[in-house]
Amino acid sequence: MIEINNVEKRFGSAEVLKRINLKVEPGEVVTILGSSGSGKSTLIRCINGLETLSGGAIRVDGNDVSTAAGLAAARRRSATVFQLFNLYPHMTVLQNVTLAPIHVLGQPRAEAETRARALLDLVGLTAQADAYPQRLSGGQRQRVGICRALAMQPRYLLLDEVTSALDPEMTGEVLDILARLAAEGTTMVFVTHEIEFARRISDRIVFLEAGELIVDMPAEAFFSEEGGLAVPRIRKFLSKMTKD
Amino acid sequence: MRYADFTPYDLVLLAQGLGVTLGLFAATTLIGLALGAALTVLHYYRVPVIGHVVVAVTELLKNSPVLVQLFLVFFGMPAFFQVNMTPVTAALLTVSLNTAAFAFVIFRSGVEAVDRDQIEAARVFGHSRWQILRRIISPQAAAFSVGPLIGLLVNQLQVTSLISVIGVADLTKIGNILNLRTLEPFVVWSVIGLTYYLCAKALAALGGRLERHLRRSVVWQGL
Repeated sequence: MIEINNVEKRFGSAEVLKRINLKVEPGEVVTILGSSGSGKSTLIRCINGLETLSGGAIRVDGNDVSTAAGLAAARRRSATVFQLFNLYPHMTVLQNVTLAPIHVLGQPRAEAETRARALLDLVGLTAQADAYPQRLSGGQRQRVGICRALAMQPRYLLLDEVTSALDPEMTGEVLDILARLAAEGTTMVFVTHEIEFARRISDRIVFLEAGELIVDMPAEAFFSEEGGLAVPRIRKFLSKMTKD
Repeated sequence: MRYADFTPYDLVLLAQGLGVTLGLFAATTLIGLALGAALTVLHYYRVPVIGHVVVAVTELLKNSPVLVQLFLVFFGMPAFFQVNMTPVTAALLTVSLNTAAFAFVIFRSGVEAVDRDQIEAARVFGHSRWQILRRIISPQAAAFSVGPLIGLLVNQLQVTSLISVIGVADLTKIGNILNLRTLEPFVVWSVIGLTYYLCAKALAALGGRLERHLRRSVVWQGL
């Protein structure tokens, strides 16, 4: 379980996250919606320890991310997929996917490579295993990013606007894979602007507004007239997002 | 005064001088690059105090003439510290430190050129700081650095000619000797100059091959 308790984050005098409380149970897909600058990505970066908390606590299966040992344990339980892929450009696709399994998990190279090839098969990149990331399209790169995360056999998958840098066709390639993972019961914390997709795969939807978590409800409720749409701010957000 | 024509033995002399020049160049390059890399690692780990000292010393080395540094080491240090200093030791010490100072600057900008986002990714995946340096930063920083580094080394090869001034029998010193004996400065210095030129060209060609190898993951996509 990921437990986020009263989390605050300040950059100088700017309050980016204000007393956020959120729980993600194993098997759940929780989508975080909100306008740009509402703190969605910062929240993900707090969970994976890229930002230090200004207040509150985050525990991943009981491991407090504000301690060195807790963060290391938390990072082994979760894996992140990034908006701009963040692949290692000097390594082939296969090397990108096997680096952490070999050097962090201590898997033998042969075993790590077998697993990596199986994951690449799954996302349709069998032929690209020995290519460098620069040779791939954006959608292919993000699929490598997903394989790199899955190779760590994480309990929790953190997805930070993973389709924002992709065109609609490539977005489709990536979302198909995520839908499959969701259906298989992968736990996900999903920051996105893909409203329709979020509606389809999410168990719960959380809405952030200027650093505050204003709504946390089941996905059907979020999109219903008496649930999320009854909140004027969310109605406005959804009408804007689904118009274009 | 006795003047003499060129003899076949002069070729042996030339080869000896070239050997000294290349040997000194190879030694100072190895020491200089190793030291420059070590300083870059210290800088990467942000070791307090040492980081500032390193930057200050390298600034001094970069911004003063090598000839002056050579005089300071060869004449100044023995006088001040009461130590023995042979010309070869002085030459090794001076040129190595000088190469290290410039290599440090090149390596450091190579490290800084590596995209921060990948480093964040590596941290999130649980890699240690050392693993990130070794597996993510170093290979890319090396690829970024090799071009400027070849430029530096071609220049340092020429700089080694300064050591002839303190009496090391390098290629330039041999040129001096042949010139004094034959009084044929045009021929002597043309040959000496051409020899440096060919060495520099060979070095640049080797460097180019290395650079292509290190940058094999980068596709030239045009402008």
